[in-house]
Amino acid sequence: MRYYLEHLTTWPSLSYVAEDSKGRIVGYVLAKMVQDVGPDDEPHGHLSSVSVLRSYRRLGLAKKLVIQSQEAMAAVYKASYVALHVRTSNRPALSLYRDTLGFSLHVLKRKHYADGEDAYAMRLSLEH
Amino acid sequence: MAPTPAKRALPSKESGLFRELLNLYESRQLKKGLKTADQILKKYPEHGETLCMKGLILTHMGKREEGRELVKKGVRLDLTSHIVWHVFGLIQKGEKNYEEALKSYTQALKFDKENMNILRDAAHLQTQLRNFDGLVDTRYLLLKLRPNLRQNWIGLAVAHHLNGNPSDAKKVLEHYQRTLKNVPDYDVEQSELLLYHVRLLEELEEYPEALNMLDINAKSRAIVDRVGIMETRARILSKHGPPEEAEHAWRALIQHNPDNVNYYKGLLATKNIDLDALSETNRADALQILQDFTTHIPRADTPRRLALTISTGDEFETLAKAYVLRALKKGIPSLFVDIKTLYSDDQKRASIEAFFESYRESLEPSTPSPDPDADPTEYLWTLYFLAQHYSSVGNHARALTLLDTALLHTPTLPDLHTMRGRVLKRLGDPLGAANAVEQARLLDGQDRFLNTKAAKYRLRAGLTDEASDVFGLFTRKDAPSPGADLEDMQSLMYLVEEANAHRRKGKLHQALKKYHAILKVFQDFEDDQFDFHGYSLRKFTINIYLNLISWEDKLWSHPAYITAALAATQIYVTVHDDPSVAKDVLSSGTSSEAEKKAKKKAKKAAQKQQEEAKKGAAASGNEDKGLELVQPKDEDPDGVKLLSDPDPLERAWKFLAPLPGLAQDSIDVWIAVYDVAIRRGKYLQAVRALSNAKALDPENAELYVRYVHLRKAYSSLASPLPGSVGAVVAKALSSLLPEEQQSQLDTNQYLQRHSTDGRAAFAAARGQYILGSPRDEVDNTIFTVFNPDVNLLLKTAIDIFSWLNETHSPRADEFRVAADKKFALSTVFKTASEQATVEKEGLSVEEQQEVID
Repeated sequence: MRYYLEHLTTWPSLSYVAEDSKGRIVGYVLAKMVQDVGPDDEPHGHLSSVSVLRSYRRLGLAKKLVIQSQEAMAAVYKASYVALHVRTSNRPALSLYRDTLGFSLHVLKRKHYADGEDAYAMRLSLEH
Repeated sequence: MAPTPAKRALPSKESGLFRELLNLYESRQLKKGLKTADQILKKYPEHGETLCMKGLILTHMGKREEGRELVKKGVRLDLTSHIVWHVFGLIQKGEKNYEEALKSYTQALKFDKENMNILRDAAHLQTQLRNFDGLVDTRYLLLKLRPNLRQNWIGLAVAHHLNGNPSDAKKVLEHYQRTLKNVPDYDVEQSELLLYHVRLLEELEEYPEALNMLDINAKSRAIVDRVGIMETRARILSKHGPPEEAEHAWRALIQHNPDNVNYYKGLLATKNIDLDALSETNRADALQILQDFTTHIPRADTPRRLALTISTGDEFETLAKAYVLRALKKGIPSLFVDIKTLYSDDQKRASIEAFFESYRESLEPSTPSPDPDADPTEYLWTLYFLAQHYSSVGNHARALTLLDTALLHTPTLPDLHTMRGRVLKRLGDPLGAANAVEQARLLDGQDRFLNTKAAKYRLRAGLTDEASDVFGLFTRKDAPSPGADLEDMQSLMYLVEEANAHRRKGKLHQALKKYHAILKVFQDFEDDQFDFHGYSLRKFTINIYLNLISWEDKLWSHPAYITAALAATQIYVTVHDDPSVAKDVLSSGTSSEAEKKAKKKAKKAAQKQQEEAKKGAAASGNEDKGLELVQPKDEDPDGVKLLSDPDPLERAWKFLAPLPGLAQDSIDVWIAVYDVAIRRGKYLQAVRALSNAKALDPENAELYVRYVHLRKAYSSLASPLPGSVGAVVAKALSSLLPEEQQSQLDTNQYLQRHSTDGRAAFAAARGQYILGSPRDEVDNTIFTVFNPDVNLLLKTAIDIFSWLNETHSPRADEFRVAADKKFALSTVFKTASEQATVEKEGLSVEEQQEVID
């Protein structure tokens, strides 16, 4: 729970939920800014988690959620790009980020996850 | 200022050592700190402050008990030192004992009124405990002491606001704004503060001022949250502004995010169109507006869907047809769930059904040749919709037939299998349901959604071990068990389902264990806010912080908590009424294979943990483990101690306590409060609970049973209730059950009033049982549920069967057979051997092999 509370109380404008008619959450994007960066980097947005219930697929919810988050990253924090990590084995997610949302591969991070799996670090420029 | 008490003062050498001790603690050089403390104590073994510091350091090093004892000793030896109380407060705060911690801090402040550290911690504790009067005083003092720290201004403003005084909060903010110099552009902190200020003005209903502040700062880009600005604008203008401007504001929002239904509602409201009370002209206007949006923002689903809610008759049919066809072509699985909310309107439901039936016919392939490689088609999604449709109106048989047809065409679509599972669940065949959802899971082993569903359905069928196996495919491998990982991840769904499964199987101890786990999760949720009292202030994100506080205030009304609280209460009440139940449960428990395996693994893990702890203690005894409590080893993994608790009603009340304040509209909550109160002899509380229940639903079946119970309990009182209490109770009782309405309690009258409701018959029978009617009379009342004009729900039949067993009715098995016949497609009334056959048929080949081996 703390993980969610930290995101929401620090960057309240960046996370979004999709709700059904009863107000139950069927999808969400949890996002934040990375501002402590070295001299070779700039402050950028980060998608910590994106998820939509399987029973609510094909509605374009993930795309809609992420776009709202990205626009806020640019407007509120002047982020120049948004980044994320995705498991190399997670093909549906990869397709969402690369094909639907236009992210490109930045670098491969070996053993990024706790269970040892590699991650693709992906980026999308927010500059128009 | 009073002279330092003799025993606190130290000569210059030791006093220097003490200062060093404080520094060493600050920098967490624990080993050196200990040495320094011991140096002082060698000469001055009763120096309270040093004892406390040593105790504090020991706690940091993991030696909590020893540390705590030293701290308490130190406090006793120097009751007027702010240091000892501060240290004690820190220890208690680390244990999340916030009430006691605040007491210690308050003591500390008596002896050092202006200590910033103590004041700040006290402010956090006061907020946690919702002691807002105290909070205002503390924040005021902090501001006085350091007016150049921006946070202190905001802290005071927020304190006033929380204390119900937005006007003073506003004054503080205004004063603060006047002190500001050199605010950088595009400063997110300043932006958030301005939005907070605007929110205050809104709350004070100073709308023109709010709007003005918003607009000026939006223009100067001092507020950078565009969506925040737009939403606030629209909201304020809707309350107090020309409707045309409000309309523009909502339109701007819709342009930005066409998928937020609230924006459309806001827009329509500016034209006095209330979606819950439409007139004919309104309807047409609304539809026109929505149509315009659909034309200009084709990718927006919301206006299309809203149009279906608003339109009627032929117009509805046209719009619905277009909407549905579009969704079928896209193959949208959630179409039915979306459309279902229209079904409260019978005509719309009939219209949808008619359309789908004719569409289905038109798509039916002329040659029924299943093509296993074909992509799901429109025909498939049409069948899927219709299956859900029929199941939702209770025609489960037809739903199953449709699903079978669909599965012939596309056996590889998991949604079809999960739907089959849902239908079988509704029919009362939990095993069949579990098997169906397992089929879905097998189609996509990488999908956690399907994994979770399959495991959940197994839990519903009472297959707790098998469910654990499925969960285990996705949980952390190094966790003691899949369930332990899910509990760690605070999965309420898992905890509720597992608890309920244990309860249904009569493993009340294990059920209680999980209900307690849910209680702990919510306790953790409540504790989580603590750090944010300081954090959010430092970040200046006040609006979201206030939302957090609001959310926490309503936390215990969460459905998962209410479920756990009511279920745990029921168990505790049962055990109180008949302690032999606990004994029976605990003596009959022979662990299953998987349970034994899990126990072994958990034991190994605990042993490993202990060994590592020992190693750790030896090697890194100087490591700073902080002040937070580490989870002690679980001394009661199966909940045996919980079930054997000598005061079950007290335990039950701990669960129920937050509910009367937060869940007043739940009749179940009031019934549970009654059940506990009456047994604790708290008659007034009991009567009031039933009064609240009566106000919600006077003819409720469970309430009826309690009326009878109350009458009996009151009239069997050995001695009348003492003095004033007795009078108040008598008065409340006569208001609840007036003499003139005695007939209300009469069994036959109640039955007559609800002759077609199976639950009423059940309630009447229980009433008779409480009054000591002959067993055969009671059972006869029960069996009226099988009369042709009585509506008997499956759930009621299950509850009745349980009760007949619990009360050792000679006709329990007869009931079982009759219910089995009535609910032909259900399996829950089958005997154990009949069920085992069904169960085995569902196990995979590997699993069957395991059973044989």
